[in-house]
Amino acid sequence: MLAYFHFVVLPQVIDGLIIGVALALVALGLTMIFGLLDVINLAHGEIYMIGGYAALTLIGWGGGYWSAIVLVPAVAGLAGWTLEELGVRPLLPRGDRAVVTLLLTFGVSLVLRDLAQVIFGTETYSIAAPVSGVTFFAGVPVPRYRVVVLAVGSAAVVLTWWLVYRTRIGAVLRATAADPDMTASFGIPIRLVYGATFFYGCALAGLAAVLLGPIYAVFPTMGHDFLVLAFAVVIVGGMGSILGAVVAALLLAQVHGLASLWIPPVWAETLVYGAMLLVLIVRPAGLFSRIGDA
Amino acid sequence: MIAVRGLCKSFGGLRAVADLDFVAREGGVTSIIGPNGAGKSTVFNLIAGTMRADAGRVELGGRDITGLPPQRLARLGIARSFQISNLFFGLSALENVRLAAQAHAPRRDFLARLDRADALVARARATLAEFGLVDLAGEPAANLSHGDQRRLEIALCMASQPRVLMLDEPTQGMSPAETLAVDALIRSLAGRVSVIVIEHDIDLVMSISDRVIVLHQGRKLFEGTPAEVSGSSAVRDAYLGAGHGAA
Amino acid sequence: MPAASLVQRLGAAGAVRRGIVGWIVPALLAPALALPWLVGDFYVRLAIEAFLLGALALSVDILLGFAGLLSLGQAMYFGLSAYLTALCYLHVTQSFWLVALIVAFAVALVAAVLGAVAIRAKGVYFALITFGAAEIAGKIVHNTRALGGSDGLLGIPVPAIALPGFDLPLRSNLVFYYVVLAVVVLVYLAVNRILATPFGSVLSAIRDNASRVPYLGYNPFWYKFFAYLLAAEVAAAGGLFYPLLRGFVGPDLFGFEISTQSVVMALVGGVGTLIGPLVGGVVITFLQSVLGSYTERHLFVLGIIFILFVRFLPGGLFSLLRGASARGRAP
Repeated sequence: MLAYFHFVVLPQVIDGLIIGVALALVALGLTMIFGLLDVINLAHGEIYMIGGYAALTLIGWGGGYWSAIVLVPAVAGLAGWTLEELGVRPLLPRGDRAVVTLLLTFGVSLVLRDLAQVIFGTETYSIAAPVSGVTFFAGVPVPRYRVVVLAVGSAAVVLTWWLVYRTRIGAVLRATAADPDMTASFGIPIRLVYGATFFYGCALAGLAAVLLGPIYAVFPTMGHDFLVLAFAVVIVGGMGSILGAVVAALLLAQVHGLASLWIPPVWAETLVYGAMLLVLIVRPAGLFSRIGDA
Repeated sequence: MIAVRGLCKSFGGLRAVADLDFVAREGGVTSIIGPNGAGKSTVFNLIAGTMRADAGRVELGGRDITGLPPQRLARLGIARSFQISNLFFGLSALENVRLAAQAHAPRRDFLARLDRADALVARARATLAEFGLVDLAGEPAANLSHGDQRRLEIALCMASQPRVLMLDEPTQGMSPAETLAVDALIRSLAGRVSVIVIEHDIDLVMSISDRVIVLHQGRKLFEGTPAEVSGSSAVRDAYLGAGHGAA
Repeated sequence: MPAASLVQRLGAAGAVRRGIVGWIVPALLAPALALPWLVGDFYVRLAIEAFLLGALALSVDILLGFAGLLSLGQAMYFGLSAYLTALCYLHVTQSFWLVALIVAFAVALVAAVLGAVAIRAKGVYFALITFGAAEIAGKIVHNTRALGGSDGLLGIPVPAIALPGFDLPLRSNLVFYYVVLAVVVLVYLAVNRILATPFGSVLSAIRDNASRVPYLGYNPFWYKFFAYLLAAEVAAAGGLFYPLLRGFVGPDLFGFEISTQSVVMALVGGVGTLIGPLVGGVVITFLQSVLGSYTERHLFVLGIIFILFVRFLPGGLFSLLRGASARGRAP
């Protein structure tokens, strides 16, 4: 029994933890954008995809993995910022922006996905991990690279939390989320806040893509597949809640991972969706409250 | 007609309405006044089903209506207007009123062809005429002037032929001339329905009311005829005292 | 007054709907009737597909253009109907009418349950619940071997519709085309009639200002609920014929692509007009087919078209017909 736990369950838990951290990064971007702007960014998955291809390209040019970790988030952030300025910003004054931006970003996601196929083709590419070998945690072999993912990912999550809750920039963000008009009347350039938030949220997605690249490879629909999962996380955690995104990401990654041990993996995914639907029905606001709410 | 007993409502730590008792009698106009924050709008919301009370009862003609949803109350004959015009802005003035009238048409007509429901349209037109809005019948409500929109608000309520008409600051944002017109309007309505009004315009209140209820910090401070209210020192202190930075 | 929302502006088109029916429908009907004599089999079958997807877009319009509800999961009923139809023809019966009855009943049941739950949720959450439900349905079908798994169900026999005195063999492209055209026209007229009633007027009120509606004495839940049932049945009408056109069904019929494509079609045609989504269905289907023969990049073009419409012509093609007036006039 203990051996089962040790050699089957524990590795899965560790794996789930790692995936959960990367998932949290993607979900964080989504939830921050929604929490601040009431915008549902259906193109977020494609931003993640852009991150993956950017990493591929950069490394292909001889850049090396570690430069990708630094540069790719910037690229992804830039892509997100462009989306916000050109596509989302004109739609913000509308009373139903959540619906309209959802439709718009959907269109953008279609375009980006197709563009990726044109430029890169439909094959799957892999990125080489920067470190190899295995380390041991409590007697369980864990690829060293996964530890890297865990470390970098957690650092990014903590950084985000610190930025939002412990800095002046974060205070401005939260104030804008709570009451944009009031905050604007204090002279805060809220359009800059919006742009910066989009940039940061998408940069996180880019980072996640670099981290997960060596594990899950790069292909045109990688963002699409991941996005639905990220959405489930955002909904369960509470749309607009940073804590919620992190908790739900870790939770759902574990649910997904552990469930795959005992039921066919495809059903594990269905289980996650089922959880999302349940939350939507029973407690649509999710587990935690939005940034800007008391 | 409308009786409120022991009504309480708090928002977090703030007691908006505390143990309120009053009776708005049938026929005639009852006004609710009080300084800002006295709880007037909250009381309206509690009676009209917009919010649920923490404690207490609301009665309509002796029947307990506490906690009923707005659609039930509308069917029981309570119509309320809103402080900020809450019309169907994309629809025409006529359609606004027709919808209100339609709600009280017999059920079995609900899948009848709309363009054959002439009786309803005629009734809506008549209501608009009564409020001086018939020339604007085809205009989308959004295009109406502020004063016309406020009157359409009231017309919408009257179209459902209610027993009780609750008006939430009907003259909000109106010019003195328009306010005078509303004064006359309310008085003409008073014969047919019981009217409860929340108002800030004291002159209007004194002019139209049969009874005035003064609220202060969620409680009933005073109740009486307009003359009694203007003579009350307690009321004067409440209104003036609020501005004199006390504890 | 709050900034004009998409649903309010789109819905204003509904006010002129009855004016349009007068001449537009016959104008569109003429080429539709003549089509099989003008083009080859390929285009006839494409047109059939366009009509069926147009019905799905119509179902989106019932909810979006009239009740103000954005459903991102109409594919749920399209897929459900298609799969049930396929299963019935494969294993149960060859009777068109029996299958239609079974599907209508099953769809009503599912829609009643899902609708009761989803309608209580406000705004964006309604969209997400409908989306989630369709995704789950698709995944369950995808994972279930008995339903064909990811390959779907193949080899669906094409029946003949039994009418008093004669049969309509759907195997014939010509017959199939006119049958589907007739069904779509009937569905359109029926929906038009149902919405041109007090019931429909309350839906329009809900779309315009949902918060005020209860104070008039209407319980918005029931209106939205019946609109949802109606929309589900309309979507199912499309799914009833789709397996017969293709000969197979796959789990992607429940998918997000189908749902959102139906929203695109409704938007491009004109939300709130009822005829717009049908036209949008034809336009988008033919566009994708034509583009597909020149380039593989039809998704890209669809996305661009969609973005442009959302941004610059949210009232769709039919808003061009209405001229400068952006707000509705009185019925």
